Amino acid sequence: MIRGLEIRIPHPNPDISMKTAQEMKPNSVALIDGQPWLIQKAEFTKSGRNSAIVKMKLKNLLSGSSTETVYKADDKMEPVILDRAKVTYSYFSEPNYVFMDEEFNQYELNQDDLESVLPFIVDGMTDVCEAVFFEGKVVSVDLPTTIVRQIAYTEGSARGDTSGKVMKPAKLSNGTEVKVADFCEIDDWIEIDTRTGEYKSRAKAPV
Amino acid sequence: MRGTMSAEGDESVMRMTWDIFCSVVDNYGDIGVTWRLARQLVAEHDLDVRLWVDDLTAFVRVCPSADVQLAEQCQQGVSVRHWPAEWQPVMPATVVVEAFACTLPAAYVAALASAAQPVLWLNLEYLSAEDWVAGCHGLPSPQGNGVQKFFFFPGFVEGTGGVLREADLLVRRDSFQQDPAAEQAFLRGLGVDPAPGARLISLFAYENTGLDEWLQVLADGSQACHLLVPEGRVLADVQRWLRLSSLHVGAIDVRGALTVQILPFVSQDDYDRLLWCCDFNAVRGEDSFVRAQWAGRPLLWHIYAQAEGAHWDKLEAFLVLYLQGLSPLAQAALSDLWRAWNAGQGMAASWQALQLHWPEVAEHAERWAAQQAARRDLAAGLVQFYLNWL
Repeated sequence: MIRGLEIRIPHPNPDISMKTAQEMKPNSVALIDGQPWLIQKAEFTKSGRNSAIVKMKLKNLLSGSSTETVYKADDKMEPVILDRAKVTYSYFSEPNYVFMDEEFNQYELNQDDLESVLPFIVDGMTDVCEAVFFEGKVVSVDLPTTIVRQIAYTEGSARGDTSGKVMKPAKLSNGTEVKVADFCEIDDWIEIDTRTGEYKSRAKAPV
Repeated sequence: MRGTMSAEGDESVMRMTWDIFCSVVDNYGDIGVTWRLARQLVAEHDLDVRLWVDDLTAFVRVCPSADVQLAEQCQQGVSVRHWPAEWQPVMPATVVVEAFACTLPAAYVAALASAAQPVLWLNLEYLSAEDWVAGCHGLPSPQGNGVQKFFFFPGFVEGTGGVLREADLLVRRDSFQQDPAAEQAFLRGLGVDPAPGARLISLFAYENTGLDEWLQVLADGSQACHLLVPEGRVLADVQRWLRLSSLHVGAIDVRGALTVQILPFVSQDDYDRLLWCCDFNAVRGEDSFVRAQWAGRPLLWHIYAQAEGAHWDKLEAFLVLYLQGLSPLAQAALSDLWRAWNAGQGMAASWQALQLHWPEVAEHAERWAAQQAARRDLAAGLVQFYLNWL
């Protein structure tokens, strides 16, 4: 049975400071015109003459509607501090991904809710994640900054490079493609930075 | 009341009002683009336009008839206002354009929020040929004050906001280019009298260490070249290559096959004519870059350099679009030249390679201009955006 809808109230914090659009990361929530918007995706781009923009995919946490927006990178936004709880991924139950906390409460999130982390959700993952709550309802999950995943497929080393500077494509077990060092092989474990989706280094198999 | 669309037969109703804000950061790109846009909105769309400029000195350079001392003046139908450091409250227009992500006065933004009628607030962004532009063009940027703000991205492909082009620009260009007497008279007015058969080249660029080798190969070449250099940042490099202690407007110096002549900073309309006269135009930034494309002549773009080399992606993105339709060898010659110029590297080899494909590249420049002219121009796009928003 799915529980997971305990009442968790966002922390009221009168000292909360504004953040720039550039500082607002996926799975954070901004208050815009009195409405809480979950940032599902944020793409930073340099526009011109050393200025930059952030394209965001937002989901209204009250109405459930989604929209795409653009902000100047230095536009000020009002972040909403949300409750968080440690969870681990349990299983996929079409159409939801189910996570569980230490007290065995289960939380369901769909593909749309998990957009920013979905490429790194794999069966059997043991990462301790953070479920994010708004008014008692789970709205997203953050992965650790660094995760370890196994390469399901990659071509052999083309140049015999051992420096780690030459990169090649590799696929994880869920089909996500990551550029890895040329010396990486099938079944190797690698560290990935979830903020950028980039390969960091080769790693030991998780215990 | 401001901001009401004019109605046929009702002279009491005022024209729709637009405020354009321009903060001059450096050079003349900000003011160049906004001044063109303001003029076009007045001339072709019958709008009541206020152009707010924080640096009237820069404005006077592109509009020599303007008075730097006046806080408010009418130029070519545009109400040009000095944007003071200490903002004085005004009633906002129906449509507000913040050019190049400049920051509007806080009091003005507050006035937008309390305006009796909804105001459309547009951020007119920088021109880029990159793929992401179409995905961002026209998207909303919800603000905390309830005002509706959107991002408007210029661009060269469908799904973007187009580039500035007056409705009759290419007709005027063609008429001018087909009238040798008009060309000659214009050049003579600038004190330019090129030798018969000499290739005319205009040079408007940022400082560039690659200039020496280019000028040397022009001087050493068999083709007579007349290089016209409007006042600007590249002048010191030209002076160094000429080995002169000073270089002033009107100076003419000859080195081998190359004649170098320094021109004054001319008005926008005269700069267009200069580009139309030349066989090859070296341009920079955004405004002169676009105008050189409309000239329909081969061009060389010196892009505005950005931190972490962000400008290279923009240069390459434009090359991907611009080179389509050229033969592989011509593509290579032109892209090598552009890359060398922007890297500040020697251009002798790439310039010589380009000579082998000159007719093809010249024809391509005309075709590119015609292709782009088939698209809606930026001013019309902005007006249509407003009408769709209503």
